[in-house]
Amino acid sequence: MSKHTRVVICSGSGGVGKTTVSAALALRWAMEGRRVAVLTIDPARRLADSLSIGDIGNTAVRVPLERLGGHGAGHLDAMMLDAKATFDDLVRRFAPSDAAASRILENRYYQFTSTRLGGSHEYMAMERLYELWHHGGYDVVVLDTPPTRHALDFLRAPDRMATLMDEGVLRWLVMPATRSGWRALELGSEAVAKVLGKVLGKGTIAEIAEFFEVFRELWDGFRSRSVEVQALLRQPHTSFLLVSSPSPAARADALYFLERLGEQRLPFGGFVVNRTVPAPPPPPERAHLPATGPLPPDRWAAVLASVEQAPRLRARLARDHDQAIDALRAAGPPGAPCWRIPEQRADLHDLAGLAAITRHLPALSEIHEL
Amino acid sequence: MPLLDHRILVVTGKGGVGKSTVCAALGLLAARQGKRVVVTETSGAQVLPGLFGVGSRGYEPVRLAPGLDTLSITPLEAIEDYVVQQIKVRRLYEMVFRNRVMGPFIDGVPGLHDAVQLGKVWDCAVQAVDAAGRPRWDLVIVDAPATGHGLTMLEAPRSMMELTRAGPMYRGNEKVETLLADPRKTRLVLVCLPEEMPVAETLDLHRRLGPRGQQLSLCVLNEVHPQPPATATEWAQARPVLAAADGPGLAEAVDLVDGWHERVARQDLARDRLRRGIGLPVVDLPFLFHRNLGPADLARLADALQPTVSAP
Repeated sequence: MSKHTRVVICSGSGGVGKTTVSAALALRWAMEGRRVAVLTIDPARRLADSLSIGDIGNTAVRVPLERLGGHGAGHLDAMMLDAKATFDDLVRRFAPSDAAASRILENRYYQFTSTRLGGSHEYMAMERLYELWHHGGYDVVVLDTPPTRHALDFLRAPDRMATLMDEGVLRWLVMPATRSGWRALELGSEAVAKVLGKVLGKGTIAEIAEFFEVFRELWDGFRSRSVEVQALLRQPHTSFLLVSSPSPAARADALYFLERLGEQRLPFGGFVVNRTVPAPPPPPERAHLPATGPLPPDRWAAVLASVEQAPRLRARLARDHDQAIDALRAAGPPGAPCWRIPEQRADLHDLAGLAAITRHLPALSEIHEL
Repeated sequence: MPLLDHRILVVTGKGGVGKSTVCAALGLLAARQGKRVVVTETSGAQVLPGLFGVGSRGYEPVRLAPGLDTLSITPLEAIEDYVVQQIKVRRLYEMVFRNRVMGPFIDGVPGLHDAVQLGKVWDCAVQAVDAAGRPRWDLVIVDAPATGHGLTMLEAPRSMMELTRAGPMYRGNEKVETLLADPRKTRLVLVCLPEEMPVAETLDLHRRLGPRGQQLSLCVLNEVHPQPPATATEWAQARPVLAAADGPGLAEAVDLVDGWHERVARQDLARDRLRRGIGLPVVDLPFLFHRNLGPADLARLADALQPTVSAP
């Protein structure tokens, strides 16, 4: 079953509304009758707000679609990543014994890594994605990601962990006295130990080495999982959507990210440009406006000025947005789809608001690799 | 003490609120007052050179305007800088760190990236000198990462101290932490948009600042739309007359004016919530109706910041 589970990953820079777009895509596909899961790893609790399901955590919460009058076969589960809990679970699963698991969970270096290391959030997101894909019984899993330049870590996380967990590499740290590893680089182990000692302090090196020593028993489990996650990211049912806004910074980030996708041979599915403004009709002419009204002449003039200025300001913004979208499309692969979500009149904070933007988003059948 | 008389300003906020723009405007303002300023970027995006239309030089400072420089602190270069300072021999660094094995290991040390980036900020504020041996910059403005990561970054020196507990890394980070935690030297600036969700996140960030909240000096509300020429009350009276009139584009225009009034009402509400929640000055920066900002736009924004920022 899991072989047919689609994976859609939304990336883009901070503030473009990735979380909202992820939630809206998930909602749209749930309303199409699919079984959908949406996972956010954004530390801020935005998804819960827009899905109106209160606090969500590592466990799935069923979104009350019936509030939208939905009664199809589809459903939507939302969850937010708890990186530490996910990491702890993984350690317990792969540890050969409870005692080994405890030794790791209590290691200071592990506690630092699992809670504070930037990349650990991203890595654990991959792990949760894998679990959802593998066990969840979903037709599609939508993943929200952290802001762009970090999302790079997110893509590299499994690879990086695999390299780090590679026994040959870690032997360096765990057993610096064995000369075989160092010889490959024609370095004396004393020189390396001295340099690392100077940089990080000798005590720290010893502690990190101890962590890797106890972690050694889990390597196989982690490594094979890492390979599977990498395969999942490149399977034919996976697509990356790049979410942007009309701002030049967001566009630059989207293009930077597109480049990284290409380098990593990850499947790009299209752009979503959020908060765009369509061009308004030209402002009404003075001759067509009532010359007087229920206000003193100078205040009536202010009212008429509002009526003339509003479309002009709007047109300036629309021009700016059109140029931004043209530039984005020109830089993307030929024929890349670009879905525009018009700016919403009110702040989005409930399910109905989210549902209102789903019509600007693609059906699941429209998502495919370019 | 006026905000710009401190040594370091850390500017953070939710993603996409315009932190880099605010850093540039603050930097311009300080430079106008005769200070020598550097804005350090930490994301690697190198936005500031683009705003001023100059080429970027990455880790090397580049001049944006008289008295204003920028510098992009990437973690890898900052690590190299730090390590070479510690061991004094660049060749040794290259042998030990420039290989496929040490890369992932260094990446894996929790908080190291953030800590060395702040180490470079410390370096700019404390160690960098000009040809005459005076401090090279009077003010360092840190264009910090977005909300969640911004906080993690500020905590990084302390995390590294806890991790190492002694030794050169500990001492180095202790110096950085001492400078960054000193309210006489370092101040925080939050940037926010006048909308409900960004305000909610800013208030959340404010709560999570903990004791650092005392260093918070200013909140900048970016992209504030202008008020319509007529007041909301006048519009309410005028609207039925205009809605009843007929003419090309009139109905759409009336609708847009409605939207304009709704927007400024939401803005005012957002500003009130922010001001009450944070209890600090909130300064508005105008929305300029286009996104490709240039030096003239930044000068306008610096003008808008001036009265609040220069107050004692």
